[in-house]
Amino acid sequence: MKKKEITRGIVVISAVALLSGYLLSQVFEVTKPRIDEQKKIEADRLNKEIFPEGVSFAEVDEKDLSYTAVYDADKNPIGRIYQIRPSGYGGAIAVRVGFDNDFKVKGVRILEHNETPGLGAKIKDAPFLDQFKGKSGNELYLKKYNKEGTLDAVTGATISSKAVSDGIRKLQEKLNPVVLPSSSGDEGENEENKEGL
Amino acid sequence: MKKLIDFRSFSLGLWKENPIFYIMLGLCPTLAVSATLKDALGMGIAFVFVLTGSNITVSLVRKLVPSHVRIPVFIVILASFVTLADYSLAAFSPQLHRNLGVYLPLMVVNCILLGRAEAFASKNNVINSTLDGLGMGLGFTLAIVIIAFLRELPGQGTLFGVNVLGKNYTPFLIMIMPPGAFFVIGFLIALKNSMDRRVKKKC
Repeated sequence: MKKKEITRGIVVISAVALLSGYLLSQVFEVTKPRIDEQKKIEADRLNKEIFPEGVSFAEVDEKDLSYTAVYDADKNPIGRIYQIRPSGYGGAIAVRVGFDNDFKVKGVRILEHNETPGLGAKIKDAPFLDQFKGKSGNELYLKKYNKEGTLDAVTGATISSKAVSDGIRKLQEKLNPVVLPSSSGDEGENEENKEGL
Repeated sequence: MKKLIDFRSFSLGLWKENPIFYIMLGLCPTLAVSATLKDALGMGIAFVFVLTGSNITVSLVRKLVPSHVRIPVFIVILASFVTLADYSLAAFSPQLHRNLGVYLPLMVVNCILLGRAEAFASKNNVINSTLDGLGMGLGFTLAIVIIAFLRELPGQGTLFGVNVLGKNYTPFLIMIMPPGAFFVIGFLIALKNSMDRRVKKKC
């Protein structure tokens, strides 16, 4: 190939790359505010679904565990929302779970999953997720795995259901470790653990 | 002598040389995004935009690009239009953007786009390249929507998410999974071939 052709080739590719890079950066600038806004709207919507009484939400970054703090109209903290990614049947499942001040589940939402349509995918539907409300500790087991469990798995989707329930239960246990029964009441133990966080 | 405006460039892509059923390119996103009508339509619209835009651009610069660097140049142009579509959807239609997922950026290596740039837009004027982009794009959309119709209805009992087969319908789940997609495409290609053969016999 002649030198002239090679040079011409380099010039053209560089020109095309530079021009398209510039144009795309402009488009990015224009759409970025809108994209960020959409993400915020989506996040707010989810937070409201999990905590309908929540008036304001704030992101908190704490060492190894970040969460969304929920406040009511008087700026009292009424709970926290966490995000976990347990491994399901088809990969990681993004789960958003809210706890009230007693570390009972307030609500659960599935953000992303790769579970089988019509089977594991049903973990994102209300019949499965509504079961979690108000529960804590060993109640957060699927019935078939623990006699204290209160949760029914989605029919034909045990692995997906177990991933979500185990993930939520393990998070709950981490946040509110059950101390062996002592003479002091339950309330005292909860106060102690919250401070430990 | 090539015509300045050749409407055949538009009509061929719609059916006779349909990119999915005849040329058989770009089958990957077709199979993946055709489980629901809503996603199929969204993918089709994004595709028409990207294909037409890139065809126009390739045609505009066809005399300036030396032959030995044309492939990288085409790919840069394609990737730019796909990115444009990606940002626009993320900003104005986040639900659709989420449903198309990874298949939107994957359009960069969609063979239909590169194929039309190489086979048509680099050798024809802007007007015809626009028509080709629109025709092939709409042909693709037509194909993917038909497939989605044949998958969503038996597979979920819904059309565009609206239940039409009643509450007691047990969904034929395999239709919304990959094997179902292959069944439908194979069947439709066979159908088109037999229809074309019958038309040829008449001539």
